[in-house]
Amino acid sequence: MGLFSSVKDKLSGGSNRSGITEEQVKEALAKVQDPDLHQDIVALGFVRNIVIKGDKVSVEVNLTTPACPVKEQLKAQCESELRAIPGVAHVEVTMTATTRAAQRDNNAAVVPALAGVKNIIAVASGKGGVGKSTSAVNLAYALARTGSKVGLLDADVYGPSIPRMVRITQLAEEGGPNVIIPPLADGIKVISVGMFTQASDATILRGPMAGSVIKQFLTQVQWGELDYLVIDYPPGTGDIQLTISQTAPVTGAVIVTTPQEVSLIDVRKAMSMFKTLKVPVLGVIETMSYFVCDGCDKKHQIFRSGGGERLARESGVSLLGAIPIDPRVAVGGDEGRPHVAAFPEAPASQAYIAAAGAAAQQLSILNAQASGILNQFALEWKN
Amino acid sequence: MTSTAENIRVSAIEQAGPRTLAVTWSDGRTDQFDVVKLRRSCPCASCIDEWTREQRLKPDDVPETIRPLRIESVGAYALKIHFSDGHSTGIYTFQMLRGLNL
Ligand SMILES: Nc1ncnc2c1ncn2[C@@H]1O[C@H](COP(=O)(O)OP(=O)(O)OP(=O)(O)O)[C@@H](O)[C@H]1O
Ligand SMILES: [Mg+2]
Ligand SMILES: [Zn+2]
Repeated sequence: MGLFSSVKDKLSGGSNRSGITEEQVKEALAKVQDPDLHQDIVALGFVRNIVIKGDKVSVEVNLTTPACPVKEQLKAQCESELRAIPGVAHVEVTMTATTRAAQRDNNAAVVPALAGVKNIIAVASGKGGVGKSTSAVNLAYALARTGSKVGLLDADVYGPSIPRMVRITQLAEEGGPNVIIPPLADGIKVISVGMFTQASDATILRGPMAGSVIKQFLTQVQWGELDYLVIDYPPGTGDIQLTISQTAPVTGAVIVTTPQEVSLIDVRKAMSMFKTLKVPVLGVIETMSYFVCDGCDKKHQIFRSGGGERLARESGVSLLGAIPIDPRVAVGGDEGRPHVAAFPEAPASQAYIAAAGAAAQQLSILNAQASGILNQFALEWKN
Repeated sequence: MTSTAENIRVSAIEQAGPRTLAVTWSDGRTDQFDVVKLRRSCPCASCIDEWTREQRLKPDDVPETIRPLRIESVGAYALKIHFSDGHSTGIYTFQMLRGLNL
C-alpha cells in the first residue's frame, strides 16, 4: 500500500467521509429491474445491508429463489450501477435468496405436516411413459443443487418408480403414532409407496386405499421446512390427482409431454384438469425432444418437433425446457443416480437445470403477484 | 393458463403524458388511458346506480381539466384514483381496466 492510499484511508477512515449516501446507493440500484417481476429491485425489497465505507460500497441482494436463472446478470448490473456513483471505487454485491412462500387462502385449513412447505409443484401429464418421473426426480435434484430444501413425493401409487430412481442414504423412521419421518436421498426428503411394499404387492393398492395412502403422505409425513415439494403424479386425470389437490395447497403444475401429437391430446386434458382444480400451470417440459449424436453434435429431431412449444403457445404458458434423449438418463434412472447428479454438465442435465430455474421463476412471479408486492404501487400525478 | 383474463394483473403504472396513464400488464401488454375519460367511467356507487347500472354521473360535469392527484393499488386486484375534484371512491379493478377501451 502506497503512502497516498494510506493517507486516503485515514482521511476516509471507517466512517463515511466520502459523502456517498445510502440514498444514492438505492437510487442507483433502483435502475436495476427484475426481468420477471417488471419492477426495480429496491421497490421489490431485495436490497439489504447497505454498507458504505469510504469509497467502498457493499450490498446484499436477496432474490426470491436460489434457482434464479438471471442471478449473474442481475449481479453484474448492480455492480455497474454502483460503480457509476461518483466517488465509488470498490463494490461488493452479495447475492442471496430466500424462497418466498406461496400465499395460502386464509379460509383454507392448513395441513400441519405441510405448514413449513413453501411451494408444492405438481409434475403431471395426461399420458404414461412420457418421462414424468424422470423429470420430477431431476427437477428435484436441480432445485436442491442451488441450495433449496427439497422434498419429493411419489404419488404414483400404482406404479411407484421413485425408489428405483434415487438412492436412499438414510432410512425412513416412525416418528410416533401417525408420524413418518421421510428417508433422505442426497439430502432430499423422499416418500413413495414403493418403500413400504414389495414391487409385486403394488397391485394391492386400488381405489380408496390408494387415495388414503396419498392423504397419509401429505398429512403424516414430517416434511418440515421445505422450499419446494415436488410431487410425481400418476399418469392421467383420475381420483388421485383430485385427492392431492383437495388435501394439499398445490402451488403450480409442470406438464410433461413428448413431442408427438398423440401425447399432446392427453396433455391438454391434464391442463384443463388443473384449470378446474384452480392450480396454475407453470409451464411445459418436453422430454425426449431430440438426440445429440456423438458423431456430429447436431440435434436430431426423432419425433415430430415442436409439440411442447405448440402446446405452450396455444395455452399461453411457457415452455420450461426441451430435454434431449440420452441413454445415460435412463441408466441413471435405473441405478438410482439421477442424471443431474451424475452428469451435471451433460445437455439433458443442463436442460433440466434450466427448466427447474424457469419453474422456480414462475413460482416467484405467482407468489409475488399473490402477495401483492407487485401491485403495491402509488403514482403522484405531475401537472 | 396464466393468460386467462382473471390471472392478468397490472404490473406497473406510469404517467405517459399530461393526461395519459400507461398501464403495463403481467402478460407484457401495455395500455394507455386518458385520465379524463377514466374519471367519466368511474364505477363507484355515486357515479353508477348499483341497481339499474345507469350512469348517474353526467360526462359533461367532468371538466377536461380534471387530473389525478395520486393513483395507488388496492390489494392485488385494483387501482384507486384520487382525482383533483376530490373524488376518490372509484375502485378500478384490473378486470375492468383490461376491458376498457379509452
Ligand atoms: N431424456 C431421456 N433420455 C432417455 N431416456 C429417457 C429420458 N427421459 C426418460 N427416459 C426413459 O423413459 C422411460 C419412461 O420415463 P419415466 O418413467 O420417467 O416416465 P413416466 O411418465 O413417469 O412413466 P409412467 O407413466 O409409467 O409413470 C424410462 O425408462 C426413462 O428412463
Ligand atoms: Mg412415473
Ligand atoms: Zn365515482
